[in-house]
Parts: sequence; structure tokens; C-alpha cells
Amino acid sequence: MTTHLEPEQVDATDAVADAHDDSPKTPSRFWPRIRRNKVAMAGLVFLVLISLVAIFAPFLTSHDAIYATRFQDILFSPGEEGYVLGTDHVGRDLLTRIMFGARYALIAGLEAVAVALIIGVPLGLTIGYFRGWVDRIVMRVVETVVSVPAVVMAMAIIAGLGPGLTNAMLAIGIVYSMIITRLARAEVFAAREELYVDGARAAGAGNNRIMWRHILPNVAPPLIVQTTLLFAQAVLAEAALSFLGLGATSNQASWGRMLRDAQNSIDRTIWPAIPPGLMVFFTIVAFNVLGDGLRDAFSREARGGKVGVGDVEAVSKKSSTKPIPERSLLSLRDLSIRFPRPGTHDDVSVVRDVDLDIGRGEVLALVGESGSGKSITALSLMGLVPDPGRSSAASIVLDGQELVNMDFDDLRSIRGKEIGIIFQEPSAALNPAYTVGRQVAEPLIVHLGMSKAEARRRVIELFREVGIPDPEKRIDAYPHQFSGGMAQRVMIAMALSCEPKLLIADEPTTALDVTVQGQMLDLIGDLARSRGVSVLLITHDLGVVADLADKVAVMYAGEIVEQGELAEVFNDPQHPYTEGLIAAIPRNESRTGSLPTIAGVVPPPWEWPSHCHFADRCAYVTDACRAASVEMRVSKHSLTRCVRADELDLAGVKRAGVVSIATDGGGS
Amino acid sequence: MLKLLATRLMAAIPMMFLVATLVFFLAQLNPVDPAATLLGDDASLEAIAAKRAAMGIDRPLIVQYGDWISSAVTGDLGQNWFNGEEITTELRDRIPVTLSMVFGALTIAIIVGNTLGISAALKAGRWPDRLITVVSSLGLAVPNFWISMVFSYYFGVKLGWLPAIWPTQRPDTLLEWLKPLVLPCTALGISSSAAIARQSRSSMIGVLQRDYIRTALAKGMPVRRVVFKHAIRNAAIPVVTLAGFQLSALIGGAIFIELVFNIPGLGNWGVDAILRANIPVILAFVMVAALTVVLVNILLDLSYAWLNPKVRPE
Repeated sequence: MTTHLEPEQVDATDAVADAHDDSPKTPSRFWPRIRRNKVAMAGLVFLVLISLVAIFAPFLTSHDAIYATRFQDILFSPGEEGYVLGTDHVGRDLLTRIMFGARYALIAGLEAVAVALIIGVPLGLTIGYFRGWVDRIVMRVVETVVSVPAVVMAMAIIAGLGPGLTNAMLAIGIVYSMIITRLARAEVFAAREELYVDGARAAGAGNNRIMWRHILPNVAPPLIVQTTLLFAQAVLAEAALSFLGLGATSNQASWGRMLRDAQNSIDRTIWPAIPPGLMVFFTIVAFNVLGDGLRDAFSREARGGKVGVGDVEAVSKKSSTKPIPERSLLSLRDLSIRFPRPGTHDDVSVVRDVDLDIGRGEVLALVGESGSGKSITALSLMGLVPDPGRSSAASIVLDGQELVNMDFDDLRSIRGKEIGIIFQEPSAALNPAYTVGRQVAEPLIVHLGMSKAEARRRVIELFREVGIPDPEKRIDAYPHQFSGGMAQRVMIAMALSCEPKLLIADEPTTALDVTVQGQMLDLIGDLARSRGVSVLLITHDLGVVADLADKVAVMYAGEIVEQGELAEVFNDPQHPYTEGLIAAIPRNESRTGSLPTIAGVVPPPWEWPSHCHFADRCAYVTDACRAASVEMRVSKHSLTRCVRADELDLAGVKRAGVVSIATDGGGS
Repeated sequence: MLKLLATRLMAAIPMMFLVATLVFFLAQLNPVDPAATLLGDDASLEAIAAKRAAMGIDRPLIVQYGDWISSAVTGDLGQNWFNGEEITTELRDRIPVTLSMVFGALTIAIIVGNTLGISAALKAGRWPDRLITVVSSLGLAVPNFWISMVFSYYFGVKLGWLPAIWPTQRPDTLLEWLKPLVLPCTALGISSSAAIARQSRSSMIGVLQRDYIRTALAKGMPVRRVVFKHAIRNAAIPVVTLAGFQLSALIGGAIFIELVFNIPGLGNWGVDAILRANIPVILAFVMVAALTVVLVNILLDLSYAWLNPKVRPE
């Protein structure tokens, strides 16, 4: 969609990906979205106005577009009565020519786009649907044609057809049809695999019917976007080819012809080139913004935000006076995290009033279903809450150092040095463009000031410690050459490289093969224990924490609902949600019956009530639960956020039948 | 890497052959009789027939085609029907002119486009981003030949800062060679800069949200290093694709710029040939454009291998 007549090609996968999501009922959200796009609407209004001018041109002017009406005092400047824009070098009224030019522009555009669609759509659908040798031959020709610059190819076709506006637009249409063919084919390739096509085939629909009735409507969005953008290109093509003398003749008042005429008097004045140039420019802008608007309405692009700075703001609150335990390495007080709610201007809290304490050498498991806010809580400790999220806390103390309100460079020297982190998807967490060795060496070089050679030696040692075989060779391999388990070992090496005091493991085994999950947890546990590193282990599976954790914090819908020693929580849970998580631990012996789980899912943050967040899913709910918000309180040996904690007798691991896991408090 | 280069070069041969064939037969459809054009309006039918025989265009098409292909393979592209010059000699004079303009514009587009795109991505959603987005949407729509006329008039004719048309003498110094290129390259580079800015912005925004960027930040890497080391190489892949595409666009765009600035490059030569059905020139013109695009695309494929280890041959 640049102005070199080389049309931008709509990305086949991108534009349609979203459209398929809600297909075949796509239009439901499409119209509101496009109507809200003011820029696209402005483009549409401009195009409607241009069309009206084109249709009614003869009634809007008293001058002639082709023959000169002013023979003396050729006006190169605008303003005189009857000649609002002045005349060109032979005395023809510019405004009149502009108005008639709109006709040529739109007709030429329609012609080229129609040719492109009439050839491209059936051809693309057919070869995409049937494939085989016809597809290969057609694509060979298509690739050849598009390998030549579009305008050069169009000129080659004009060389055969002869110059003239109709021929020029036919040539442009033929060249653009190759782009339409390619797009339609790619879309059909994708659509063929979709379920609805299988469904139609199973229902006995014939090939033709499937192609035109089932596939075409679903590949339409990218085609519509591409057609709009091609229209802009066709208007430009008319102007450009007429400018070269290959399009409109002197008897046709097209904008391109006007520019060619203006070129004749350019040594005296630029003025006659200004109005037609601006008309071409604005028409292209209008088609482009409309095309962009359509594309945005069909699919949405990532929004992006500030990079790397998710610093935690300070809040002063009554509970900031809550004492910090003596052996604490990390103490977090009153952490809250807010995000703007999509599609509104409101903020919504995803984490509220979270307090956590991790002792030196201690393993704290933070447990909860997905959507409970545990990962974002961990990220906030490092100031990594992604923009536009905002986090605030009364205090985050790491080894005596206050992290709240710390400036970016100081925070940066904590990241990777004092706190190491392992993420859920090791393959995605490693940069595909660099060797693993370079990536693990980076913190050593930046934080510890090691030389490249020193860092390399250290990385090889680290690889050996985390159990990567043949580390001297593997250090120069790229992430895609590692299995998930091995990539996670690389991540562990990276997280531990600068001997951090705290290791955050965010669902470290979730994305891995079941067979390596146990090994990975053992590795993390062993390394942490031998180095005296504290661990914040985040998981949705209470079963995995039994061997590893000293303490457990259970999180639900942005709040900690229970916190205590592992054995206490496992044997005598104080919150119904904890009971549910315990019941959901997979058991080895009872293979009969279905796995008991908690009915429903964590609701989205904007549906969280002000009273107990768990009330709607809780089996023990009473009116008291919905009366007011619930504070953390001591119940037996633990802290809990349940108003009925004292009266309820909830099932721990023994009663739930989970006998296969140890409950002696892990390894400490 | 050499093997990749060799395979791609081999694959280009049938493609060029197909281009030549397509263009040869297309050009034959031209209703204009070059012999008649050559001899002028007063020529007798006999004179025209004699001229056609002398030019060899009275022979069957397939013979002419075979003749052209077999000499093209040996590097002989025939003679210009209208001035009798060897096509290869004309190409030697004209190719450097057009290509220096095209690559000058591409360099401008890559520098300006990426600077704008990355700056916008880093300020995503705030005013610098909005401004750059608007500017690049407008930049995309500027017709290059029109902006050339405006540049040529204001900076050339009116202000006299830079040549309004191409100088007739050969340049003696580097400066003399560069000066007349400034306006054409800038005019040609505007919409490509805008296109690259848009692509670079959206791919940078996409990459900055990837997990490995979070990893780099979690390691405590400075933002500058995260952007210019961890993000840029991954974000560059779609930008390189677009740059290749833009090169093709720039070769097409150069044709118009050459007309405005009266530049003796391939564009003016080709347009003139089409108007007069000067078939040997048309063929050479299209072949050179196609070959440049094909060669640059091979270079791009090699650069992917550098940018993306996954496609590197083991």
C-alpha cells in the first residue's frame, strides 16, 4: 500500500485469525467496532463525497473539462471569480478538471479492482480447494508475475495491449489479480482444515457448494481488506500511468493527466500540480484508513506498553504496621495490582491486599487455580507487572532492603542478582535468536562483571550442576534445539547464575512432560537446599508442593485465603477452597469414579464481589458470607479468610483419601 | 550457506526464463508497428515491409523467440531498434543510475522507517506513537512522482539548493555524484519509509510482549540492551521481508521519478520503448527489473538465516 503501486499484501493468517474465532457469526461485533473507528468513518465519508462529485460533475460547473475556456491571462494562481482554482497552462479551469477527474479515478479504480477480483477470487478458491498440479502451475506463474515490480509488469502488459486508460487499468487489474489469487488460495488452505468444512462435507454438500457457500464467506474478511487497499492502489495507478502517458489521453481530464500537463509548466509554476496531487493523496488516504479500519475491526493488534518498568508504588495503610518476622528474607505487605478493564476506562483489581513472608532458606508454595493472581503477584516483586498494569504495596522488604519506590537502576540490580525467576514455558522464555550459553552468561557479565571467557566457564559449570549432558557442546546450541525439560534446566541455570537469595518458580513444571515434572521439582528442591536459597513456588497443583514446601499460601480471586505451615494446612484446612484443592489432588490408589474438583472457574476480576470472593462456588455458603468483606484472621494454626472457619470441620489429606503424599512438612 | 545460495540461484533460472517468455509474447500483441513508427508517417508500404525484413520481425514468432533466447543466454540482448545501440551498452550506462537511486531510497527508508517504528513501539499508546502513526499513514499515501514535482520545483527551481533536473555532464567528484540524487532518493523513499515504520512498529510491539523479553528484564538487563539486543533481531525478520518487497516497489517507483527529474535511467528508456513497441528494449527492461528483485530476495533469504537460527541449515 505504498505509493509505488506495489500493493501491501494482507497477511493471510493475521487478518483472518480473529475472524475465524467468532465465525460464522463474525458480523455481530464487526459493525459496532468499525462504526466506533472515527478515522475509518471519516475516510468513508470522504469517499462518498468524491463519488457524489464524480456523478454530478456536469451539474456542478459551467466550464469545460477538455477545452480551454480562457485564452488570455492564463491564470496559474487560484482566486479569481469563476476560476476558483485558476487554470492550467492552456487556460482550462482546474476545478472543473478536478471534478471530472474524480470520475476517471473512481471508474479506473473500479475497473482494475473488478478485473482483479473476477480473475483472482475464482482462481484462488479453485486452486486452493483442489490443489494438485493445476495449483502448482498457476502458483508458478503467480510467483513469477509478482517477482517483477507491479508497475513494470503492468507496463509489459500495456506493451501488448497498447496504451490507453482502459488498457492500463486492465493491465493493473491483471497484475493485482495475482495478489488476490494468492491471498484467496492461502485463506482456502487455512479454511479447508476448519471443522465447518468437514461438517458441510459430512452433510453431503458438493465441492462447488462448499467452496462458494461455506469457504468464501469465511475467507471474505481478508479479501475485503485487501480489495479496499487495492482500490487505493488502483487510483494511484491511474494517476501514475496517465502521468507516464500510458493511461489517459489529452481528451480525458484525469488527475494523472493533469499532473502530466502540470509537468509541462513546472519551470514556471508548481500550482497546477497541487490540486490533482492532493486529490490523489487524500483519496488514497481515505481508502487506506478505511482498509486499516476494516482490518482492525476484523482482528485486533497487540497494544503494547512501556517496557521493563512496572515499578511498585507506595501506599500507606494501617496494616503496614503488621510486624515483619525476624527470620524473614522477603516480606510483602498490602500488595494490590490493578489493570484497566478491556473496553472501558475503569480499573479493576486483580490482586488485593496480599501479605506474604518467606523465611531464609524456606520454600513457600503459592497455590491457586489459574486466574487467581499468583503469577502476577510474583512478577510484581521484581517490578515486572506489564504495562498498563499498576501495582502498589505498603512495603516489599528483601533482606532488609525496601523495594517499593526504588529507582529503576537499583531495581534492575536486584533482578537476576538477588531474585532469580523460572517461568512456565521454558521454550518461549528463551530468546530464539541467541545461543543458550550467551543468554545464561548475560547476567554474569552484566551483574558480576565477568569477562566473556570467565562467564563461559561458569555457564558450563552451571549446566553441569543442573544436569545438562555434554555442557561444553550444548552451550553453543539454540533454544529450539532443546526439549522442554532441557530448556527448563537452562532456565534454572540462568535463574541461579548470580547466586540469588530468592528463587521464584512460576509453575515450573506445568508445560513439561509428566515424566520430567518430578525430576524438575527434585532438582529445584535440591539446588535450593544446597545453596540455602529461599523459594517462592507457584503452582495450581497442591500435590506437587508436598515434597518441597515448608509453608503454603492459598490464593483465590486475587486474595490470599489461607496461609500456614504445610502440615497444618494439609491436615486441617481452614478454608473451604483449600479443602477443594486438596480433594482435587490426583490420587494413586482410587482409580474409580471421577476426580473431585471444585465446580466452576475463577470468575473474571470485574465480577469479584465485595464480600467473600469464594461464596458463589462454596458448598458451605451462608448469608453471613455475603454480608461484608472478609478479613484474614487466625484460625487454629493458620491464617484464613473465612467467616465460618471456627464452625466448619473441613477434610484434610487423610480424610480426602490422599494418603500417598507425605505430610511431614517437606524436606526441612 | 553456499549450498542455500546455489539452490536459490538455480531456482531463479526457470523463473527468469518464464518472465522472458511471458514478456516476449505479450509484447508481440502490441498493435504498434515499430517499422512504421521508425520510418515515419510518409513511408510507403514497400518501404515498411523492407524495414520489417531488415529488422527480422517478418519471421515467424517462434523463430524470433528462439533467436532472442539463444543470444540472450550468451549475454547478447540485441540492438535497440530505434538508435541501433547495443542493448548491453545502454544497460551499462543506465543500470547504475537507476540502482543508485533505488538503493539510496531503500537506505533512507530503512533508516528512517526503523527509527520511527521503534520509537513509536517504545512509546506505544502515547503521543509520540500516535504522531508517528499518523505521519506514516499519510506518508504511505504520498504519490512519489507528485512529491518529486513539488521537491523539484521548490528545492530546485525556486530555492536552487539542489539540481531540479539531472545534470548532463558526468560527475567528477563524489559530491557532484551525490547532489542530484538527494531529491529523487528522498521523494522515492518517503512511502517506503512509512511502510517500514508501520511494520517495524507493529513487529517491535509484538516482540516486546514475548516471554523471552520478560526473561531478559527479569535477569536485570537494562532496557536499552533488551530492546537493541533481545528484541531487535527477532523484530527484524518481518521488517526484512517488507524491505525486500519495498525494493521491488522502489524499482517501479523509480520510473516515475526519472520522468520528473529527467534522469537517464531504465525507467525513461522503458516507457519510451513501450510507446514505440521497441521490443528488445522492453524485454531487457523487464528482465533487469525482475533479475534485481530475484537477486535481492536471495540476499534476504541469506539474511533470514542470520537472524533466525531456526531456518539455518545444519
